[in-house]
Amino acid sequence: MPTTPTQENDVFRIPIGPQHPALKEPGHFEFTVDGEVVTAATLRLGYVHRGIEKGTEGRNWIQSLYLLERVCGICSHVHATAYCLGVEKLAGVEAPPRAQAIRVLVAELERIHSHMLWLGVAAHEAGFDMLFMYSWRDRETVMNLLEGITGNRVNYSANQLGGVKCDIDGEQADDIRVGLDFLEGRIKHYLDVVSQDTMFLRRTRGIGVMTREDCERMGIVGPTARASGVELDLRVHAPYAAYPEHPVNLVTATAGDLEARFIVRVNELFESIRLIREILDDLPEGDLSVRVPRRIPAGETISRVEAPRGELFYYIKSNRSDMADRVKVRTPTLPNMASVLEIAVGHQLADIPMILTGIDPCFSCNDRMVAINDPSRGEQAWTWEQLRQYGIEYYR
Amino acid sequence: MTTEAILQTGSALIAVWAKETLTPEPNRLDAIIEPDDLLAAVTALRDAHWGYLSTITGVDLGVEAGEFELLYHFCAGAAILTLRVRIPRDQPVVTSIYSVIPSVSFYERELIEMFGITIEGTPNTDRLFLPDDWPQGVYPMRKDFNPADA
Amino acid sequence: MSAIAALLIFPGGVFLLLVGMIYEWIDRKLVARFQNRMGPRWFQPLADTIKLLAKEEVVPDGVDARLFFTLPVIALAGAMTAALYVPLVGFEASYSFSGDLIVTVYMLSLLTLGTGLAGANTLNRFSLIGATRTLTQLFSYEAPFLLALLGPAIVADSWQIGEITDYAGDHVWLLVTQPIGFLVALIGLMGKLELPPFDAPEAETEIVAGALTEYSGRGLALFHLGKGVELVIGLTLVAAFYLGGVTHPLIFVAKTLALLSILAGLQALMTRLRIDQTVGLWWRYGALLVLAQFLALIVWEGVM
Repeated sequence: MPTTPTQENDVFRIPIGPQHPALKEPGHFEFTVDGEVVTAATLRLGYVHRGIEKGTEGRNWIQSLYLLERVCGICSHVHATAYCLGVEKLAGVEAPPRAQAIRVLVAELERIHSHMLWLGVAAHEAGFDMLFMYSWRDRETVMNLLEGITGNRVNYSANQLGGVKCDIDGEQADDIRVGLDFLEGRIKHYLDVVSQDTMFLRRTRGIGVMTREDCERMGIVGPTARASGVELDLRVHAPYAAYPEHPVNLVTATAGDLEARFIVRVNELFESIRLIREILDDLPEGDLSVRVPRRIPAGETISRVEAPRGELFYYIKSNRSDMADRVKVRTPTLPNMASVLEIAVGHQLADIPMILTGIDPCFSCNDRMVAINDPSRGEQAWTWEQLRQYGIEYYR
Repeated sequence: MTTEAILQTGSALIAVWAKETLTPEPNRLDAIIEPDDLLAAVTALRDAHWGYLSTITGVDLGVEAGEFELLYHFCAGAAILTLRVRIPRDQPVVTSIYSVIPSVSFYERELIEMFGITIEGTPNTDRLFLPDDWPQGVYPMRKDFNPADA
Repeated sequence: MSAIAALLIFPGGVFLLLVGMIYEWIDRKLVARFQNRMGPRWFQPLADTIKLLAKEEVVPDGVDARLFFTLPVIALAGAMTAALYVPLVGFEASYSFSGDLIVTVYMLSLLTLGTGLAGANTLNRFSLIGATRTLTQLFSYEAPFLLALLGPAIVADSWQIGEITDYAGDHVWLLVTQPIGFLVALIGLMGKLELPPFDAPEAETEIVAGALTEYSGRGLALFHLGKGVELVIGLTLVAAFYLGGVTHPLIFVAKTLALLSILAGLQALMTRLRIDQTVGLWWRYGALLVLAQFLALIVWEGVM
């Protein structure tokens, strides 16, 4: 029996999630509203909790790599990178320069992919489907590039302990350059749209403002913090992999509203494109990987990388066995999520999806899990060609 | 400011409470402190605006050791300062730092449900990640929890 | 007999519903192509309707079942009754009397009112907010829209649709002499149909499907059909008043389709407005502009 909304102490609560058109992944928010204005917010996570952290404790170092890469479908590469860098540090080995450069290259392509995905989703939340459709169409370019390099559109599996698995030859480099030229033109256009379209600015300018002090107090990370003028980018302040050789220019804005978050992310795309071109022109020669021992010496380390959404934090502890003793993952969405609950209060209900999307939330990252494919269910495996044919037939 | 200098500033801030400091890696500084001193040390770092609390890691040292270790990671640029607190496994209680850093709520809720640690003074102790029908008193991140049994 | 035929088959009834579906398809297809999508196939609206009509209608707990079933019928009936007084696809209106313009406009509002009441009838929180927004929006565009349609009525010196269209056919297109009225009428139509950027009442990223969240099956189908009918009537009225009256049916249909493509373009181009922004836009700009033009017309008529 549904309860009358007015029964609960005359409080009108709007549930958003776990299934809701505004959320592409499950999370449960409850917004208490007074008319159209939000007066309180609570959050419940865990709908996609797969117990990955616990899972790493029963698997060897190499198996854990594949597990951790599946924490997130969008930023899988940064998880693998953070884990590999950490384990390599513990093992006392260092991946060859060419491997480090390819790691960064894939990471930056992934950033382009992630930010363009976000641009589309955020535009859709504002009811601006035109930008949504176009940015997702153009995102296909970068996904095809990633497929060309690693063989996968998501979960690239480019990393291995001690290096990378995939190389980049001259032809692939040329493909990437062509793709980037196209994307650069499109992204310039998107920058114009998000900074000049008056209808769109009505929904972003001055909405969801976070000051620099707010960000520092709440520990906000990534582009969300940089849009409020916080100078924090691990690629700049704690460079890892090939970032010391290929310095990144910090992209910040000062307004701290949704418009600033759009502008920071779109400007980061230009920076990523510049960086990829620089790496392609200056790709070091040499091996792709070094050997990593099966047993990792005892010790603990902290590995931090800059994911598309902000600082990704890995704590890895080894007790000199072939399995990890403890792997702790802190994804950027978790601290940023706290900000949503705080800044939502006082805003219109219509602004909530935008504010939520403004931090680029990733619930899978937050929850960290494993979907185990059950072979007993006897799911039919389809080849790529079969899937393609099915798709063609279906839409004919 | 170099990473070393940043770490030294941080080290000086918490020197009063640190029983021992270690430098496991050049950009890291670990300070072992008593659970009772935790709030004071965190307050000192917060008041000096030294970095931000990145996360809290809970580590189960095992049934034989009989202790949990809580790591409060503060980050400032490349520097990481970790406050290490050990609490007994049979009576896992630690003071909340919510009064100093409100955004810690999610991390504390994670510790409560994953390790069964009692956090004194944190306002919200609801489940964050675990399902509603997860049995009471079962804490998945403890070493004696075997996923196969669940 | 002919009256019943006009009501049930042509130009009302079945024919009207089909035209509504075709117009809806054209609108969806155009928006899709503007957004670089494939868009639906030509029979998609018909298929949707048949599917919905065949489906079980779930009546949620806590609603007044009688209202739940009758509101969609009233809404569709209102829209189809309005069609009787309108020169659909360039044919003479089935009925006509002095003052039918006002009746038509109010009949059209029944659909919106029905949607709002349907939302308020359920306990669903999304529906309740959607209903509030639907009714709020109704009060913001209704007066300007009416004033925009009364502009031609003033110059034609009649409140009868037939006489106004005759006047519009004999004179230079009213689009030229009353551009503000034309704009407000066209944009008011978008507000009436809850098309982007005025789709806050059914903003899916906030309140799922707004007032109609709890509707499935027949009720939903009837509301959708009503929308289609309203789209046809709205386009017919604007084309007949502002684009040179009623002419040869083919030319007249071409004019309404031209208007429809403008609507589709505007939908694709714009970001959804918040409900407070919608209200602000209408009362601060739409209402004042059209009122100014309306007063100017009255003074002009008086002077002449």
